[in-house]
Amino acid sequence: MTFEYENRLHVTRRHFLRDCQVGIGGLALSLLLGDRSNAQDRQANPLAPRRPPFAPKVKNVIYLHMAGSPPHLDLFDYKPELVRRNGQDCPQEFLRGRRFAFTSGTPKLLGTPQRFGQHGQSGAWISEAMPRLATIADDLTFIKSMYTDQFNHAPAELLLFTGSPQFGRPSMGSWVTYGLGSDNENLPGFIVLVSSGVFPSAGNSDWSSGFLPSVYQGVQCRSEGDPVLYVSNPRGMDRSMRRLSLDALRDLNEMQVAELGSPETRTRIDQYELAFRMQTAVPEVMDISREPRQVIDMYGAQPGAASFANNCLLARRLLEQGVRFIQLHDWGWDFHGTGAAEAITEGLRTKCRGMDQAVTALIRDLKHRGLLDETLVIWGGEFGRSPFREGRTANSPLLGRDHHPFSFTIFMAGGGLRHGITHGASDELGFDVGDNGVHIHDFQATIMHLLGFDHTRLTFRFQGRDYRLTDVHGNVVEAILA
Amino acid sequence: MARCTLLACLLAFAGLAFGFRTSTQTSSDKPAKGQFATVQFARDILPILSAHCFTCHGPDDKGRKAGLRLDVAETATKTLKSGNRAVVSGDVNNSAIVARVFAIGDDRMPPPKSNHTLKDAEKNLFKRWIEEGAEYQRHWSFVAPKRPTLPEVKNKSWIRSPVDAFVLARLEKESFQPGPEADRYTLARRVAIDLTGLPPSPEMADLFVSDKNPDAYEKYVDRLLALPSYGERWAQVWLDLARYADSNGYAEDQPRMIWKFRDWVIGAINANMPFDQFSIEQIAGDLLPNPTQEQLMATGFHRNTLTNSEGGTSREEFRNIAVVDRVNTTFQVWMGVTMACAQCHNHKFDPYTQEEYFQVFAIFNQTEDNDQVDNRPNLMYLSAEQAKHRAALEAEMSKLQNELKKLHPALDAMQEQWEKEAAKDKLPKNIQAVLGHVAAKRNPKQKEELADYFRAKLRELKELQPRLIRVRAELSQVQPVPTPIMKELADGQKRTTKIHIRGDFLNLGTEVKPGVPSPFHPLHEAMPPNRLALAKWLVDPRNPLTSRVTVNRYWEQIFGVGLVQTPEDFGLRSSMPHHPELLDWLAVDFQETLKWDTKKLLKMLVSSSTYRQSSKVTPALAERDPGNRLFSRGPRYRSSAEIIRDQALFVSGLLSTKMFGPSVRPPQPKTGLSAAFGPGTDWTASTGEDKYRRGLYTYWRRTTPYPSMTTFDAPTRTVCTVNRPRTNTPLQALVTLNDPCYVEAAQALARRIVKESGSTMDARAQHGFRLCLIRPPGEQEVRRLVALYQEAHTTFAKNAKEALQMATEPLGPVPEGMHTAELAAWTVVANVLLNLDEMFAKR
Repeated sequence: MTFEYENRLHVTRRHFLRDCQVGIGGLALSLLLGDRSNAQDRQANPLAPRRPPFAPKVKNVIYLHMAGSPPHLDLFDYKPELVRRNGQDCPQEFLRGRRFAFTSGTPKLLGTPQRFGQHGQSGAWISEAMPRLATIADDLTFIKSMYTDQFNHAPAELLLFTGSPQFGRPSMGSWVTYGLGSDNENLPGFIVLVSSGVFPSAGNSDWSSGFLPSVYQGVQCRSEGDPVLYVSNPRGMDRSMRRLSLDALRDLNEMQVAELGSPETRTRIDQYELAFRMQTAVPEVMDISREPRQVIDMYGAQPGAASFANNCLLARRLLEQGVRFIQLHDWGWDFHGTGAAEAITEGLRTKCRGMDQAVTALIRDLKHRGLLDETLVIWGGEFGRSPFREGRTANSPLLGRDHHPFSFTIFMAGGGLRHGITHGASDELGFDVGDNGVHIHDFQATIMHLLGFDHTRLTFRFQGRDYRLTDVHGNVVEAILA
Repeated sequence: MARCTLLACLLAFAGLAFGFRTSTQTSSDKPAKGQFATVQFARDILPILSAHCFTCHGPDDKGRKAGLRLDVAETATKTLKSGNRAVVSGDVNNSAIVARVFAIGDDRMPPPKSNHTLKDAEKNLFKRWIEEGAEYQRHWSFVAPKRPTLPEVKNKSWIRSPVDAFVLARLEKESFQPGPEADRYTLARRVAIDLTGLPPSPEMADLFVSDKNPDAYEKYVDRLLALPSYGERWAQVWLDLARYADSNGYAEDQPRMIWKFRDWVIGAINANMPFDQFSIEQIAGDLLPNPTQEQLMATGFHRNTLTNSEGGTSREEFRNIAVVDRVNTTFQVWMGVTMACAQCHNHKFDPYTQEEYFQVFAIFNQTEDNDQVDNRPNLMYLSAEQAKHRAALEAEMSKLQNELKKLHPALDAMQEQWEKEAAKDKLPKNIQAVLGHVAAKRNPKQKEELADYFRAKLRELKELQPRLIRVRAELSQVQPVPTPIMKELADGQKRTTKIHIRGDFLNLGTEVKPGVPSPFHPLHEAMPPNRLALAKWLVDPRNPLTSRVTVNRYWEQIFGVGLVQTPEDFGLRSSMPHHPELLDWLAVDFQETLKWDTKKLLKMLVSSSTYRQSSKVTPALAERDPGNRLFSRGPRYRSSAEIIRDQALFVSGLLSTKMFGPSVRPPQPKTGLSAAFGPGTDWTASTGEDKYRRGLYTYWRRTTPYPSMTTFDAPTRTVCTVNRPRTNTPLQALVTLNDPCYVEAAQALARRIVKESGSTMDARAQHGFRLCLIRPPGEQEVRRLVALYQEAHTTFAKNAKEALQMATEPLGPVPEGMHTAELAAWTVVANVLLNLDEMFAKR
């Protein structure tokens, strides 16, 4: 073995995914690398299920993204001091040198109009807007000291889902799929569901594979038409006719393999068989009317509708079928107070109603089926909302809050976590992190840890650099781990 | 079994190593004997350093440990604070680097905590390098290429082009035989798809196949290069780099009108604009003396950055992000280096500092645009002809208006009077509606409507008014098209540029002057240091990268994989070129001999014996050269999203040949969703031939790009994409089997089959096969297609409703004289033909 050859291997190994689609090149190489099972599997089938390097605490993620960012100060982060000082000028020390999206000058402090209470053994603070969630408070793990770097929706979502506010990086779900593959080859490994009629602000970049091979990108299942694009046969062609045509296609492609010997052709033959199986697997799993009535009611779902509640129920069904990363985006959480529906009084209670029911049902349902221990459910926005009235609506009868990156709350449920705890806190007015700040990258590192990855080691070489989800940052939040 | 493969691979790679020589080599121009005669810094040491040591001892002074920098000789050889010297030429015992890499325990380098470990072989390399004199060299790609001499080969008759000499020399060294030449049908389709993105018609292919002249292939290639479809195919490659799209990006993702830039690219490529000029006009067309409209339009290249109109965003913040993107994209596209890494800190692996990053930033920091939703400044484009036409119409308009005034000075007063007095309920509905608004509240269109109505009633205007209306209507058809361009700030408004500490545009450091990174040649001193100087710097013969990166891109497009396999990174962490001399030869030839003529470059590549080989993979080849890195066979890889779609439309006869113009909206499934804060994402499909335009004319909305193309790895175009992955997934199968666009193509193909060929099933199957794949089918292939036809026909003959659906939805009614069940069955066959693996790849 020559030294130069060794060097070349360094380079080539990092680039071997590039060769994956080309054929057996990568395979032979992976044998050389002594990385056999992993590289070989990924080569032959990029979605083959893989074990993470460390014992995982969970194997699935359901991410419930409240697009627009809910007012955490009216839901979970109770600030009696803020209520007491409601209407007073915001202290200058909080404003100096800071930018807000829609606020300049000195805004007025805004105490929550929602009633708060403590719930469960853990005594978690939850407002009246989330009555059902309050009943499972002891299953939840709150982080009340989250913070981010971005105060506009699209960049903040990009940071949350891809680790960078710029476009072009792979999303968390893509990293996880790259690391774990998929447990059900008849379904995509990473599925995205969108509700309330609007895409999230960063669009499909929230589930993009970035520079990872595009097999790892999230597949958006739709509530109109085909749940997965083009899964239905054309009109006039039934399943037996499709089978006939695929048989002919396979035979003709086999003739091609016999003549030219391209392994790529063989792969394509397999992909068509997989597609054929997907044609039955996808509509089956997406059909929530197969659920018992009481389950549908528990979620508040409605077969045929396009709702967040339906998506929560679908998430459980997909998870049961081996889909590992399921990402839900629900629009309408941007509570500026610019309309009654985005006001933090009745508007918030109305918006919460369906979500409160569906999320509670999802967590209970997973628990009931013994799936919660192997699943991580995450609920949250891309940032928080300000403890003051935002500039545009400061004199309106409707109460609203501006974007707030400096401290906010998310909660999680599922395996590997200490349940019924609250980690970290904002300061007494809810402006800044009070203690135990958790940056987006820390949060991502923790998710990866629960899935059995060292977030610094799951990397991909692109443009000469080993990129990872957490950029060059991130510390696992040990305090919330069981 | 695994062991055999392993051994074969080892041999192959060891072999690769033998042939390696860079043009940067200085000390050992004598041919290598056996294994490497000497260790070379650029080839052997630098990759190890950049992979394992640069975090603490690289070009970035932040985080540097022990004051030691290893990538340059001056700093690596000096005496450190500790009294040690890392590198002492020829003295292994006193070179600390050797002691430290061989050390055990905490002294070991790289430190145990770093997660980096060196292999024994790598450690020994350091030792040998020091023994042999520790000579430093620059990274190979930072030294301008020199033209290597053509290597000697045994099988001289195989050489058609200098390309072949390099490829064959290597093959002979590895004791490989080049593959046999592909048959002419295969070549006819392969080269047509490569050059124009479309297969030939069977007739055009037949003409070439039966041409007995020795220059038949050359003439065929020339014909293809002259087709307008050539520019469309290659524009797609460039538009990925230019991150061209029809929307602003971010949450609202508002529509953006910049298709004139796309048309400019197609036009420039078809006109075979030399690549240096092509580059200069896009980066700095506006700074050329008396720029033409086309040269301004070309600067749209860097107006393809995103615009964020989300509420509460800072224009200055996103203007800065756009400038950052321009810096990063420029260096990615032309030089294949990752300047982006130096935005927030000095580059960790390549020798560019953050200060140098902002010197380039300073060059791009002087344009007027600042994140406006309408993307101003825009060029209001009219072609010379249109401008003339418009001027004539405007002249006529004002002439008519003058006549009108002369004829009726008090016309407006009369109208006011009439408005007051007219019996409103007798007026037409639309006029009543206009009168419902007070005069001040009427919009221009309503005012026009009202005046037209009133004047039409006046006898003396009977002739004049209709003429006015006609001219006005004609004028509205000759509107200028806005297209965003680069426009330099006026003197006195120029920005000063300061370093953005950690990349934060509000956290400013020291002021910097415009400039370029110091590892490269300086900007031309006689020129002001602006975009034009930068553009010329990029295509300067002293630039070591632009030509290499460009020929590598063309090579990759044609052969499926670049000579440098990391086209997005030619820096220190790049993959070493597999045929370094070939790369350098092409890079020099492209500049010096071909004078940046891309058609000639492509012709050279596709005329080579290397290109014309059969793509057949024997088991021996599969084992010894699995990735075809030695080019021991012809290229075969999956086509791009656009080519796959265009081809289906072409063979079915649906493809429109209409070029240019606003982007079109072929049918796509509804999502029922809107963009965040923005318009709905569903669209009303274009009608007529706009349904069937080539893929590159499809409306490219960044947050929701055309789904069937995304499935085939088309990017979102939010950022510069240097190369698309080529995946092979079941979702792709679903697209080409079931997407109504592909079903429609199958139906149209079925009708062609029935209409254009004889009445026997064999003849029809053969015709369909040839339309798709050009080559005549084998007997077995025909039999299998006919068998499918018969099975399908039996079913459809019994199921009239299904047959009708299969044959007509969505294409339309069965043409007269054709049988529904027959068409339905041929549609099933056509659907299979369009899904053959051979349709997705060159043969």
